[in-house]
Amino acid sequence: MTISSVILVVDDDPAIRDSLSKELRAAGYSTLTANDGIEGLSAVQSRGPDLVLTDLAMPRSDGFELIAAVRAFSRMPMIVLSVRGADPDKVRALDLGAEDFVTKPFSVTELLARVRAQLRRTTSPPSSMLAFADLTVDVERRRVVQGGREVRLTPTEFSLLELLAANAGKPMFIEQIIARVWRSAPSTTADTVRVHMSSLRKKIEPDPSDPRYIVTEPWVGYRFIAEPL
Amino acid sequence: MKLLRSGPARWLLAIVSIAAVTAIGRVIGLNPSTVGFLYLIVVLLISVWGGLLVGTVSSIIATLCYNFFFFPPLYTFTIEEPANWFALAAFLVASVTVNRLVVAARVQAETAEQRRKELETLYGLSIDLFTATNRVGALGEAAGRALQLLGAREGGLVLFEGGAYRQKVIWWNGQKPDEIEDLIAGVGRHQEAVELPSPLGRDVYLPLIVGGKTSGALVARGTEASKQALESAARLVALAVERERFIEENAHVQALRESEALKTSLLRAISHDLTTPITAITIRTESLRRRAAADPDLLEDVAAIAAETDRLRRRIDNLLSMARLEAGKARPRREPTPPADLFRAVRENLPLVFAARPVTLHVDADCPDANVDPSLTLEILVNLVENAHRVSPAGAPIELVARRHPLDPNKLRLEVLDRGPGLPPGVADADGNIATETSDVAQRGLGLEIARSLAAANGGTIGLAPRPGGGTIARIDLPAALLPVEEQA
Repeated sequence: MTISSVILVVDDDPAIRDSLSKELRAAGYSTLTANDGIEGLSAVQSRGPDLVLTDLAMPRSDGFELIAAVRAFSRMPMIVLSVRGADPDKVRALDLGAEDFVTKPFSVTELLARVRAQLRRTTSPPSSMLAFADLTVDVERRRVVQGGREVRLTPTEFSLLELLAANAGKPMFIEQIIARVWRSAPSTTADTVRVHMSSLRKKIEPDPSDPRYIVTEPWVGYRFIAEPL
Repeated sequence: MKLLRSGPARWLLAIVSIAAVTAIGRVIGLNPSTVGFLYLIVVLLISVWGGLLVGTVSSIIATLCYNFFFFPPLYTFTIEEPANWFALAAFLVASVTVNRLVVAARVQAETAEQRRKELETLYGLSIDLFTATNRVGALGEAAGRALQLLGAREGGLVLFEGGAYRQKVIWWNGQKPDEIEDLIAGVGRHQEAVELPSPLGRDVYLPLIVGGKTSGALVARGTEASKQALESAARLVALAVERERFIEENAHVQALRESEALKTSLLRAISHDLTTPITAITIRTESLRRRAAADPDLLEDVAAIAAETDRLRRRIDNLLSMARLEAGKARPRREPTPPADLFRAVRENLPLVFAARPVTLHVDADCPDANVDPSLTLEILVNLVENAHRVSPAGAPIELVARRHPLDPNKLRLEVLDRGPGLPPGVADADGNIATETSDVAQRGLGLEIARSLAAANGGTIGLAPRPGGGTIARIDLPAALLPVEEQA
C-alpha cells in the first residue's frame, strides 16, 4: 500500500486511545482519535477515514449511536471494541451495521489481523475468484480447491461457502445465512444450517479438530476466518 | 330521662296515668265512651314509653278500672247491660292491639338504628383499613377502633404465623387469658365463628378467612353487636391483613430487585474499570515486546509481564462469570457448540501456553456438538489447560480430546491430558469426582473450583483421574446438541 489507510480510534479512555493509535501507527497506518460518538461522527464526516475502531460505552454519545449514524451515509468498515460478557451489546452493534468486534482485552496482533481483513474486503473489487491460503473458491465455475485437490460440494454447501468467503472476516448471523442461502424458505431453521455447515466443514477443513476456515461465532452465527491472499 | 326509663319508674308512671284518667273521669262526670278513648290514649303512650309488658298490664288494669268506675252498677266488676260487655271487650282488644303494634314498631326502629350504627362502623373500618394501613401497626389500631365501635368491651386481633398455634397478637384490649389461645386456634382451624356466653356478656370469636385460608382471628368480648356485623368486620380485617401481607411481600421483592440491579451495575462497572487498564497494559506490553526484539533478557521479562497480565485478566473473567452466575444475572446461554471451535478459542486465549509446549487437539469424527454456553465452557477449558500447564514440566505435551461419552449417547466428553505429577491425594475420590469436602480451595486451586462451578452451570460435571503412564486426565462431561436426522449430501 503506497498511501497508508487512515483509522479512526474512538474511545473515552486515553490510555487505550493513545496506546492503540501508537500501535496502529507502528503497523503503518495513519490514525485519528476521538473521545466519544459525537467527536467520532464529526471526524468521520470531515476526515473520511478508511476504517473506524470504536468502543461501545462512552459518555455523551455511545458507540451504538456512532455506528448507526455512520451507517446511514457510508459503507465504511467499523470494528467494535467490546467488553467481555456484554454479548447482547456485541450482537446489537453487528445488527446496527458494525463489521466485526474484538473483545477487550484483545491482543494487538489479533486486532491488526481483523483490521487487515476489513480493509482488504472493502478495497478489493468483487472478484469471481476468492483466493485464500490453500483454498480457492471459483464462484463462476462453482469449483473449490483445497490443498491442491478439488473438493466436491453440494449446491447448498457451495452457496454457504461462497457467502462466508465473500464476507471473509465478518461474522454472519444465522438469519442472514438463511436469508441468502435458503432464500428464507419457511422450514429452514438454525439446525438446517448446522447440518450443512457441519458437512461443509468436514469437506474443506484439512484438520476438522483444528478448523482454519470457518468458526462458529457464539450467539451470532459463523465467520470465515482465513485472510485473503 | 334515664330514671324515667328504669323498671319501677315505668310501672309507677303507668299506674299514675291510669289513676289520673279515672279520677278526671269521675270528677268531671265524663260519659263512658269519652273515658274509653282517654284510657286508649294513655295505654298507647304507656306502650310507647314502657314496652310490651308494662303496656299489656296497663291494658288490663285500664279495662278493670273502666268496668269498675264507669259501667253500672258502679264500683263492682259486674255489668248490667249486655251491650256494655261488648264495649268493654272491644276496649280490651283495641288497647292490647295498640300496645303490640306500638311496641313492634319501636323494636323495629331500634333494630334499624342499630343496623345503621353497625353499617357506619363497618364503613369507618373499611376506610380506616384501606386508606391508612401502609405502615405496620395501623392494622391493629384500626381493628381495635372497629371493635370498640361494635361495642366490644375487650378483645383484639390475633394473626397466625405459619400455623393456628403460632399466634401473634397484633392488638389487644383488656385481659387475655391463656385458654383463649386454644379457642382462637380452634376457630381458625374450623373456619367458623363461635359465640360464647361470658362474664362480660357475650364473646364472639371470628376467623379471618381469605381465599379459603385462615390468617388469624378477631375476638370481640362483651359485645352486643349482631353476628352479621361482626362477621363483616372480620371479613374486612381479613382482606386488610392479606393486603398488608401483599404490601410487605411487594416491598421485599422490590428490595431484592434493587439489590440485583445494584449488583449488575457493580459488575458492569467492575468489568469495565478492570478491563480498560488491563487492555492498556496488554497493548503497551506488545509494543514493548516489538521494540525489545533485539534484547533477549528484556524480551524474557516482557514475556513474563505478558503472561502475568494474561493470568490476571483470566482470573478477573472467572470471578466476573461466577459473580454473574451467582447474581442470577447471566443465565448460561446454551447453543450448539462444536468442540473444535472451543479448542481453537482455547488456543487464541492461551497463546503463551501454546507457544511454550506442544499442545495437540483432537476431535473424534463422531463427536457431537456440545449444547453449552460457549464462553463459560471456554473458561472451563482455559482454566483446566492453565492448571495442566502450571503443573507440567517444561516441554511436556498437553492433549485436548473431544469424544462421544462412552456410556451416555446424549453427552460428550472433553479431556485435558497432561504429563504432570498426577493428582495430589485428597483432590479426587476413586470415581474421579472432585472431592468438595475433604480438600479446600487452596489445595485444588481456584481454577479448578471455578471450572467445577462453571461446568455445573452448563449442566455438566468435571472429574479428575490419574493418567496411565503418569499425569492427570481432567474430564468435562457436557450435554450434547444432537443434530436432526443427518442429511446426506
